[in-house]
Amino acid sequence: MSAEKRSRDKQPPASAAEAAQRLATIVDAAERAAANVIDEAEQQAQRQIEQAEERADRVVAERLRELADQLDPGGEGERRVTHLKPVEPVESAADTVARSGSAGARLLATQMAVSGADREEIEARLRAGFEIDDTSEILDAILGPKGES
Amino acid sequence: MKLEELQALERRYLMQTYRRAPVEFVRGEGARLWDSEGSEYLDFLAGISVCSVGHCNPAVVEAVREQAGRLMHVSNLFYTEPMVRLAERLSGSSLGGRVFLTNSGTEANECAIKIARKKAHLRGVENPEIVSFDRDFHGRTYGALAATPKLAENAALGPMLPGFRGVPFDNPGALRDAVYEETAAVLIEPIQGEAGIYPLSEETLLAARQACDETGALLIFDEIQTGVGRTGSLWAYEQTPVRPDLLTSAKALGGGLPIGACVAGEDLSEVLEAGDHGSTFAGNAVAAAAALAVLGIVDDPALLRQVRERGAAMREALLALDGVAEVRGRGLMLGVGLAAGLDAATVGADLLERGLIVNVPEPGTLRLLPPLTVDSAQADRAVALIGESLLSYSPA
Repeated sequence: MSAEKRSRDKQPPASAAEAAQRLATIVDAAERAAANVIDEAEQQAQRQIEQAEERADRVVAERLRELADQLDPGGEGERRVTHLKPVEPVESAADTVARSGSAGARLLATQMAVSGADREEIEARLRAGFEIDDTSEILDAILGPKGES
Repeated sequence: MKLEELQALERRYLMQTYRRAPVEFVRGEGARLWDSEGSEYLDFLAGISVCSVGHCNPAVVEAVREQAGRLMHVSNLFYTEPMVRLAERLSGSSLGGRVFLTNSGTEANECAIKIARKKAHLRGVENPEIVSFDRDFHGRTYGALAATPKLAENAALGPMLPGFRGVPFDNPGALRDAVYEETAAVLIEPIQGEAGIYPLSEETLLAARQACDETGALLIFDEIQTGVGRTGSLWAYEQTPVRPDLLTSAKALGGGLPIGACVAGEDLSEVLEAGDHGSTFAGNAVAAAAALAVLGIVDDPALLRQVRERGAAMREALLALDGVAEVRGRGLMLGVGLAAGLDAATVGADLLERGLIVNVPEPGTLRLLPPLTVDSAQADRAVALIGESLLSYSPA
């Protein structure tokens, strides 16, 4: 026989006071169980909120990646195998910016918007960095039409 | 202990690798420091961009106190919550992949170099090469040192690691020429810090991204100095037209405690496997708790906006001073280029006498890296002190 069993066997019969005490214990346990259910529900809700936030983050990250991918049209031209071989003429910097400018500008604007910059700040950077006269198309696409953001 | 005694002990017991200013600091609060004689200083260096949320920021102090009283360290053989939550926060706020935590910036770059080399080997490259810009600073451990062309020239420390190439700063053509299919990575500072605050042009950044995409090389942004809000966005790349594949952070991340991180994009998260890399202290619970507190303060659009606005206001005010030729940088990472004939070292020493701490990274430049929480009165005071100092050294 286990020590626990022996201990239980030695307990005296329950009195009315003990029954009341036991009832109080049961009620207390029920209340704790209810509280646990509420806690679990809250935790589950919190997890769902966090998962939703993660999904939103992934969407933003994916959008940024797509824009970054647009910087490289891919598969165009012959790739250099080694820098020790004669290097083909490097395209001018202006060509590079012209080709990548639009996607780069959109990525810059998106990244700045994600980091909390306002429309005017983004517009100023686009004008300075990419010489874009009309920035409204990019800004509207990312921030929504002026007045709504 | 008197300063002279402290200096004597320092000379006796510390390797003489630094030239220290003759000041002993004993207390700090926000953007202010006090020396052992009770004099107050305005700190526009912030421990080289480390104390970005100010000295002894209450939230950081409390996080450290609480964690230190509960659990400091268990090694990376076990789990601790601050470490995991910090990785989650770093990933979620930047490239979205996995994180390797380190104790310093140079170690974060070592991790990035390892990832780049292994990734290159995985695509069949035999002798992977890392490309960086002349005058970049990536650290002093041997991998990072080899990627720091200026320091790597020190033959007394040789032989350097093979597989590193330096190219002229901000030269997109030279960069494109240097990147080929054996290139493992282009490792760059979006704004050179130690060199004297020199931002890379968008043209060069776009060229770097494009060259990497064409060859399979990785684009690594060393954001050890530019990151954690210094430029007015949580990460400096957010104000550029490119997105890196790997990002390294340190300095401000721990608010004064040593911690760094290498953050990967999702597609690079599985390059390093068990046994490839490790560190005894990395992810230390106290440092991670401090970093979480720092990010809680800095990753706030209102604070980041304040950094941009305060930086713009300081730039404008500095440019109006006699003796200032140009102001470089972004946010509260400012390089003040002095007019010809002015010696920045002399001005820097004079400013220390006047109670303003700045840094002199090169003979003609003052580097300003104040806490991001600096208020407008403190910013105005710093500009006024610089103006007074320049006036005293300008030709009559």
